[in-house]
Amino acid sequence: MDEIDILLVEDNPTDAELTMRALKRKNLVNKLVWVKDGAEALDLIFAKGEYSNRNVENLPRLILLDLRMPKVDGLEVLQTIKADERTRKIPVVVLTSSKEDRDIVESYELGVNSYVSKPVEFDEFIDAVSTLGFYWMLINNPPE
Amino acid sequence: MTTSLKAQTRNDLLMVLLLVSAGFLMYHLNIFPVKNVFFNQLMMFPIILTTNKSRRFIWAIPIIIGLILILVQPIFSTFGVSVTDDLFRLILLMVVILMVALLVERIEKVRSLRSLNERLKKQTKMLEDANDELEAFAYSVSHDLRVPLRAIDGFSRIIVEDYQDKLDEEGIRLLNIVRENTHKMGQLIDDILMLSRAGRQEMKMSDIDMEDLVKTVYNQVIQGFEGRSIELKVDSLPQAYGDRALLTQVVSNLLSNSVKFTSQREKGVIEVGYQNDKNENIYYVKDNGAGFDMKYVNKLFGLFQRLHSPEEFEGTGVGLSIVQRIIRRHEGRVWGEGEVDKGATIYFTLPKK
Repeated sequence: MDEIDILLVEDNPTDAELTMRALKRKNLVNKLVWVKDGAEALDLIFAKGEYSNRNVENLPRLILLDLRMPKVDGLEVLQTIKADERTRKIPVVVLTSSKEDRDIVESYELGVNSYVSKPVEFDEFIDAVSTLGFYWMLINNPPE
Repeated sequence: MTTSLKAQTRNDLLMVLLLVSAGFLMYHLNIFPVKNVFFNQLMMFPIILTTNKSRRFIWAIPIIIGLILILVQPIFSTFGVSVTDDLFRLILLMVVILMVALLVERIEKVRSLRSLNERLKKQTKMLEDANDELEAFAYSVSHDLRVPLRAIDGFSRIIVEDYQDKLDEEGIRLLNIVRENTHKMGQLIDDILMLSRAGRQEMKMSDIDMEDLVKTVYNQVIQGFEGRSIELKVDSLPQAYGDRALLTQVVSNLLSNSVKFTSQREKGVIEVGYQNDKNENIYYVKDNGAGFDMKYVNKLFGLFQRLHSPEEFEGTGVGLSIVQRIIRRHEGRVWGEGEVDKGATIYFTLPKK
């Protein structure tokens, strides 16, 4: 699992399943990796801990990040990624249930590329997630 | 012992009277040489006491006696009755003793006021803590209640999608009931959060073009109701002074209500108008919708209070509570008038800048 398109950081398995189901509609799940908390996400990105065998050069092309997670929360992950020269260019989309202003403001202050609050309605949720996956993976031009 | 008043004693008395009248003047003209509240309180205390209804006479007694004695002293002298210096000294002493007694009482009062102040500070702190907790609670609600709700909605939908051929009509109907109710609960969570936000969000005050606001908000509210025939009349409205985001919420809730409650009219008419008043601007939103019975008017703005069944009109009963909370934060008032099947008018006021 060296090559990663999308890194999904999400502690809730049902939300993860729904997210992957949405991305599947645009065929975006083939190289998707799902990790269950911020600590695991950082280990994977920086090839540490159980991911120390991974090639650190292979960075995910997109990170979908939940905010409220056990151990290391989303904002800490975001801060670490955006503070590191090697990883700061990876587009990070916060995908969370929170619509709180302070979360939105703080995420942008830390340099998030996009902030999406998960709709409760299934159709809206599927629509939002598949659209953002399609946009970041196929329409957006990342830096080389 | 002399029969007439000594110059020295008379001067003492005059000095006291002069000081008291100077203080009295300063107190009433509101001129204080030193800008320290505590100092001035101490300086002015006899004057404050003389102007305090219950204390006025106690304080005035020695002065009045003193004045009478000065005035009547020559008369007494002509009749050969002596008024001694000692008597005047006694009166002066009485004044001084009274002053000291009252001063002590005053200091005691200031001290108890300070301890009261301390208690108030503690209570404010407790209130702030409680408010923070409430905020954390609202935050938690926004996040944690949505997650399982999305799962319920999502997975019941997935069953319908993936197992359609294995489900009969009844099975699909039942799953749709599950979804309808998740939708309602999602709406409730959103509304409660909005209510909590309306109460705690910091207000950024500015001038707001109300006509413009009403028209903009109406265009958003009317989306999805393009098939309906609704006429919006907007009077020329004066500028409001308030928080734009919160007042947008007010107008949005009122217009949405009017759109909703005129849904059974062939042609809905919504009128946004204005009445002038001395200190406040009175705005109103009037419609020709379902209206309500005035005997339930006291429930109009109550949280979760509904005057229509869910079959007639959807809703959570939070909309007007939000309106009331926002208007109250602006130090305005809200009230409603209505008649069943004739329509409703909701008034709200905003203080003039």
